[in-house]
Amino acid sequence: MNNQNAWRDFKEGIWCDSINVSNFIKMNYTPYDGDSSFLEGPTERTEKEMKRVKELLIAENQKGGVLDVDTSKVITILSHDPGYVVDKDTDIIVGLQTDEPLKRGVSPFAGIRNSIQACNAYGYEISEKIKDEFTYRTTHNTGVFRAYTDTMKKARHAGILTGLPDAYARGRIIGDYRRIALYGMDFLIEQKKKDKEEIGEKDWLDEETIHLLEDLSKQIEFMNQLKCLALSYGYDISGPATNAFEAVQWLYFGYLGAVKEQNGAANSIGRISEFMDIYIERDLREGKITESRAQELIDDLVIKLRLVRHLRTPEYNDVFAGDPVWVTLALAGVTGEGKHMVTKTCYRVLQTLYNLGSSAEPNITVLWSEKLPEPFKKFCAKVSIDTDSIQYENDDIMRRMYGDDYAIACCVSAMKMGKQMQFFGARCNLAKVLLMALNGGKDEIAGDQIAPEGPCFGDGVLDFDEVYKAYKKYLKWMAKLYVNTMNVIHYMHDKYAYERLMMALHDTDVERLMAFGVSGFSVVADSLSAIKYAKVTPIKDERGIICDFEIKGDFPKYGNDDDRVDLIGKDIVEYFYKELCKTPAYRGAKHTLSILTITSNVMYGRKTGSTPDGRKAGEPFAPGANPMHGRDCEGALSSLNSVAKLSYDCCRDGISNTFSITPEALGKNDENRVSNLVTMLDGYFEQDAHHLNVNVLNREKLIAAMNDPTLYPSLTIRVSGYAVNFNKLTRDKQEEVVARTFHQSM
Amino acid sequence: MADIHSFESLGALDGQGLRFCVFFTGCPLRCAYCHNPDTWHKSGREMSPRELFDKIRRSKPYFKNGGGVTFSGGEPLLNAETINELRGMLESEGIGYCLDTSGSAPLTDEVKAAIDGADMVLLDLKFPTEELYKKYTGGSLETVMQTGKYCSEKGIRLILRTVIVPGINNSRDMIDGYIRTASPLCFEEYELLGFHTMGFFKYENLGMANPLKDTPPMDPKKLRELQEYLSSKISGEKQQ
Repeated sequence: MNNQNAWRDFKEGIWCDSINVSNFIKMNYTPYDGDSSFLEGPTERTEKEMKRVKELLIAENQKGGVLDVDTSKVITILSHDPGYVVDKDTDIIVGLQTDEPLKRGVSPFAGIRNSIQACNAYGYEISEKIKDEFTYRTTHNTGVFRAYTDTMKKARHAGILTGLPDAYARGRIIGDYRRIALYGMDFLIEQKKKDKEEIGEKDWLDEETIHLLEDLSKQIEFMNQLKCLALSYGYDISGPATNAFEAVQWLYFGYLGAVKEQNGAANSIGRISEFMDIYIERDLREGKITESRAQELIDDLVIKLRLVRHLRTPEYNDVFAGDPVWVTLALAGVTGEGKHMVTKTCYRVLQTLYNLGSSAEPNITVLWSEKLPEPFKKFCAKVSIDTDSIQYENDDIMRRMYGDDYAIACCVSAMKMGKQMQFFGARCNLAKVLLMALNGGKDEIAGDQIAPEGPCFGDGVLDFDEVYKAYKKYLKWMAKLYVNTMNVIHYMHDKYAYERLMMALHDTDVERLMAFGVSGFSVVADSLSAIKYAKVTPIKDERGIICDFEIKGDFPKYGNDDDRVDLIGKDIVEYFYKELCKTPAYRGAKHTLSILTITSNVMYGRKTGSTPDGRKAGEPFAPGANPMHGRDCEGALSSLNSVAKLSYDCCRDGISNTFSITPEALGKNDENRVSNLVTMLDGYFEQDAHHLNVNVLNREKLIAAMNDPTLYPSLTIRVSGYAVNFNKLTRDKQEEVVARTFHQSM
Repeated sequence: MADIHSFESLGALDGQGLRFCVFFTGCPLRCAYCHNPDTWHKSGREMSPRELFDKIRRSKPYFKNGGGVTFSGGEPLLNAETINELRGMLESEGIGYCLDTSGSAPLTDEVKAAIDGADMVLLDLKFPTEELYKKYTGGSLETVMQTGKYCSEKGIRLILRTVIVPGINNSRDMIDGYIRTASPLCFEEYELLGFHTMGFFKYENLGMANPLKDTPPMDPKKLRELQEYLSSKISGEKQQ
């Protein structure tokens, strides 16, 4: 391989001899300590393309959320002719999933029924050709339901285990797309072939080894297909990228191939900005590009990422609302040697939110560390305040577990780039398990016996110790069922819907993580606290099942930095995690756990009866690890402090917290707001907290919050020496605040 | 032991940086436009200085950039004893405090000591004349001025604040009066705050008559005009 030209002017290291992008980055990136003043606005070309994008988005919205579906054939890497946003000459970074922007493809590998329903929901009919092709083909969904036991089906049906990737593709796997740009496809293919031969030399080929050999041959096949995809757009990616444009384009081809092949729940792009920056810096040094051109490249990549679409059913939207792809792009952070990794391209990526307008995608995730340079922290805070579009995750705690070349999949799932993959596992409804424990293993809604029969509670005031003991017994049962259900799902996903290209861009001896999750965390903490500190008496219905609770007296509530309740919640999570670890996970995966509900907290609540904390049947849960709305009454920082107590050591798939504040409450003027937000983030993460979504709300958001208080649970408003939680105000007062905010912004 | 109304762990407006606000109960005044009438009477939530300190200390990670604790209320200086006991503990952790006061607590030695320990005092100058002060708050301007003068003598950073209520003190004449009254004081800033109706529900909840129930909130634009008028007059005077 002659890489002299492609690698000119790069510092050599171990990355030259074997695949090691992390080493390449650390040897070659240029940390940037300055401020945002170097940034450039959109070029005329970018504005022209964005005009077209806006038209497309409006059309998509007018058509009910789906612009077009190609029902004629199954989407794969090579299924469609090249497509462009404007045209071949105007687009810089090229490549669309189908031949037209926002036209969705049909990908039935995870489940054909799901694809048929999704087409029907938007007024389309899947073609006979696809139906025929899948008549004799087993999908992931079919495989899973063949192996599911009755108990698994019952737990799923009752909504104790929900959102499982058993009818849709699992997602959350991040290909290391940077490898294509650094090494070129031919070298990567050659490496995989070598791996396959070496593994085949083993004395005894056991089942797992044969499985791996088949995986490798699938990977190699799809790597070759990716080369053909690039050729169809006029580019040869068999060799490494020789300049900034090629680096971005090669990397994007990898991502594009992955989202053509797979429609998993989250398709994240990884940690790419430091990598791209090295190529941009070299081109700038060589005088080949200007800053404006560098920004234009990043802007155009981001435009393409904003246009990624998958075909989903309306039911799917119940779990993951808003048609997300989770093109999560993680940036900044610190190296293991303690040097920050902020580059000018971190700024350029954030700048796209100004140049192209704010947007949910890509899901820009700042890997926060106290060591990040102050001007960068301030720029992030400014972008948050202006756009509400970025989230923050604590690099100082993730780095301890994942090293310094990890990225984020979906919302909060960390994994080492190209070295770890995840088996996504949605979540278990902890609040429902508590009700099941009180009802002797019966589902409180349908009345079915799901878990093994146990004593029913309900004669008089609940005794905390007895309830706690019973709850743990049922959590233990749940944990085992959950792991085994996941093992079935991922066995079948590997068998029938394997991510060939994404896994090709991982090391062959990849480390696997199995990501479990919980919902209803704050409901459980408060419920147990109520049983312990107040007097809670169950009320039974005619079936003898507990339908409500009488609560006498007050009790500490999660979200007020009160150990009496916070530590109960913490204990339950830690107990559940330990129980999960007792059942081995498929393919030797490591068990991980998240407290994250995405937008499904409303749906989980709908499926859960009244709980001992006073929450009534059907009422929504708080999202993720957030305190229940309206119960954190000592202000935002006490609420953050409660969440910060949860240990990342046992929740290493993430602890999600959503924080909302009005600009007026954050500070008197822009400068104050920026410095206060930076101080807040530093203070929160200093306590080893994991994640924070930051909303600095404008009027539109206040209206949304008024109509659905669960959207922004901890919204604080403050007016001249007086603070209130927005959700506690009566409707007319909220309207008044909304009106006033509007006046102020005029 | 001090009787506590509530805490606000994220205060960003009453003092520098991020503030942990402690709202004490009890107030010698009965302002017609009070937005916290629920702090007039005891809540029954009693806390010792040590307990308060443990609570405040939890927010220490957020006290960079000049942040700290703000004692508010009710009237915080009615709890000067508690504040003085807290002072040593806070100092040991390097946490500073700010007082958000009406200045209407008698200037006893305890109160003086509490002021001495403060990083900053936010003094509410409610009305510019003894007559109006008595009429709308039930208190005495004399005491407030003594507190303000004490801060000035001691070189404590002082910020004056006045709530502007439509129909009561929203005129330039009134502003002139405030400036005259404030002239013997040595202050850094004079801030006008707009009357708002967001405390109204508290009157309803408490079953209390709300004397200003028909008063609209202060128009932010007019408030800004008055603030500009006030600020320019003050800087003009300072230049002379």
